[in-house]
Amino acid sequence: MTKNQRTHRNLRLGSLALFCAGWELLARSLSSMFVPSFLDTAGAFLQLVSTRPFWHAIWISHQAFVLGFAGAVVVGTTLGLAMGRWRAVEGLCEPYVHLLLATPIAAVIPVIILAVGLGLAARALVVFLFAAAVIVVNTRAGLKTIEPAWIDMARGFGATEMQLWRRVLIPGALPAMMAGYYLGLGRALTGMIAVELLLVAVGIGRMILDYQGMFAADLLYATVVFVTGEAVLLLGAVRWLERRITPWNDQVTVE
Amino acid sequence: MITVRDVRKTFPARNGNAATLALQDVNLAIGTDEFVSIVGPSGCGKTTLLRMIAGLALPDAGVLEIDGLPVTGPGPDRAVVFQQFALLPWATVADNIAFGLELRGMARAERLAAADGLIHAMGLRGFERHYPRQLSGGMQQRVGLARALAVNPAILLMDEPFASVDAQTRRTLQDDLLKLAERSRKTIVFVTHDIDEAVRLADRVMLMSPRPGRIVESLTVPLPRPRPDDLDLAPEAIRLKAYLWQQLRGMQQAPPPASLP
Repeated sequence: MTKNQRTHRNLRLGSLALFCAGWELLARSLSSMFVPSFLDTAGAFLQLVSTRPFWHAIWISHQAFVLGFAGAVVVGTTLGLAMGRWRAVEGLCEPYVHLLLATPIAAVIPVIILAVGLGLAARALVVFLFAAAVIVVNTRAGLKTIEPAWIDMARGFGATEMQLWRRVLIPGALPAMMAGYYLGLGRALTGMIAVELLLVAVGIGRMILDYQGMFAADLLYATVVFVTGEAVLLLGAVRWLERRITPWNDQVTVE
Repeated sequence: MITVRDVRKTFPARNGNAATLALQDVNLAIGTDEFVSIVGPSGCGKTTLLRMIAGLALPDAGVLEIDGLPVTGPGPDRAVVFQQFALLPWATVADNIAFGLELRGMARAERLAAADGLIHAMGLRGFERHYPRQLSGGMQQRVGLARALAVNPAILLMDEPFASVDAQTRRTLQDDLLKLAERSRKTIVFVTHDIDEAVRLADRVMLMSPRPGRIVESLTVPLPRPRPDDLDLAPEAIRLKAYLWQQLRGMQQAPPPASLP
């Protein structure tokens, strides 16, 4: 770790500590039953993660998350690549991708529930719809940034269509694809919670609603902190993966 | 032997632009192991002609043959060096150089061994594991040239390869190419808009007309090989360059402005 990185890390940790201290002071000065202090929340958090129902709720929620996000990655990547490569596919799918991108998906949740029911399939579908569009548009954008000269060059060396995909198009689109997964992951988590809060009261959403109803502010806050922390960790993991598999992207010029 | 007879190329209308006739009645013959440069005003279709010889575009009409066989696509006898280098940013210098061999199915160890000789010859030693964007423009084009040479083509097609580097580097790259051309037996077609460069390097300079482009003149460069260091001062070179300049200027003046305000 360089001196610069160390300073940066210390600043971030300091900022976090400052936030927690501010939270503690504010909550104490308000002394409201609806705003738990940082220490109360931390205590509730520890209590929460030591119970089985908590992990069961996590399991329920994440079934929909994993299915929906995996589906969004597979479908979004395939569609994005096809749209970036073939104008006909782009023309056919463009309106729907636009629609999906523009629609506030939360508003469509009741429609989905009516059509698909209250089961896992409906929740996975909501997660999918939250995440798919950004993956499609980023993947397509990745293909569009590929320089025509790279394709000429590969063709000049006699590349087959398959070699072109594997050796030029997919590596070239990879940085943008990773950006799409990053954004899609955030949206998928939002979708996972949104559907549980709005209509299908199970999993983490159910816990949040229950604690809200019981005025158990510390447990409510602890749940929210858990979900936020998970999102931060997962997004950090995608960033880390991105740096690992696209190392050419952040190399600096040595001239 | 590259033969081009009565070749025509039109680009279809697209995005509101009318169809353009890029090349018409193009005729030329380039001998085996000859070094020919093609000069012409910008937009005259030089690059299109080169792409057709490479097999990356096909003529709409006419005959395009290499050693008597019609060109139907790219082939292992040809390799292209591109103006913007066309290096793959995710591949290291060594992997970029070995890319053509990789596409031909050569095993990694074998192709990297083959690339190693070129890394040395091109003065890229020590940069094998660098990514292209870590290199200067001149070094990037050395990688581009090495990649083309790695597949050992009989014909080297160069599309304004030194147009994107600074003047000093361009001079060095030209000298390297001259040495290469004099040492190895290759047919080289070199597209450029730089008359000095065309005369310095080639055995013969072909002059193209504005669009629709065709070869209007073919001039032998009356200079010995190996080219002397002071060739820019040779009276024959100065005369030839002056003549080419005059012709090019004439072309640019040829179409009178449609209307003046």
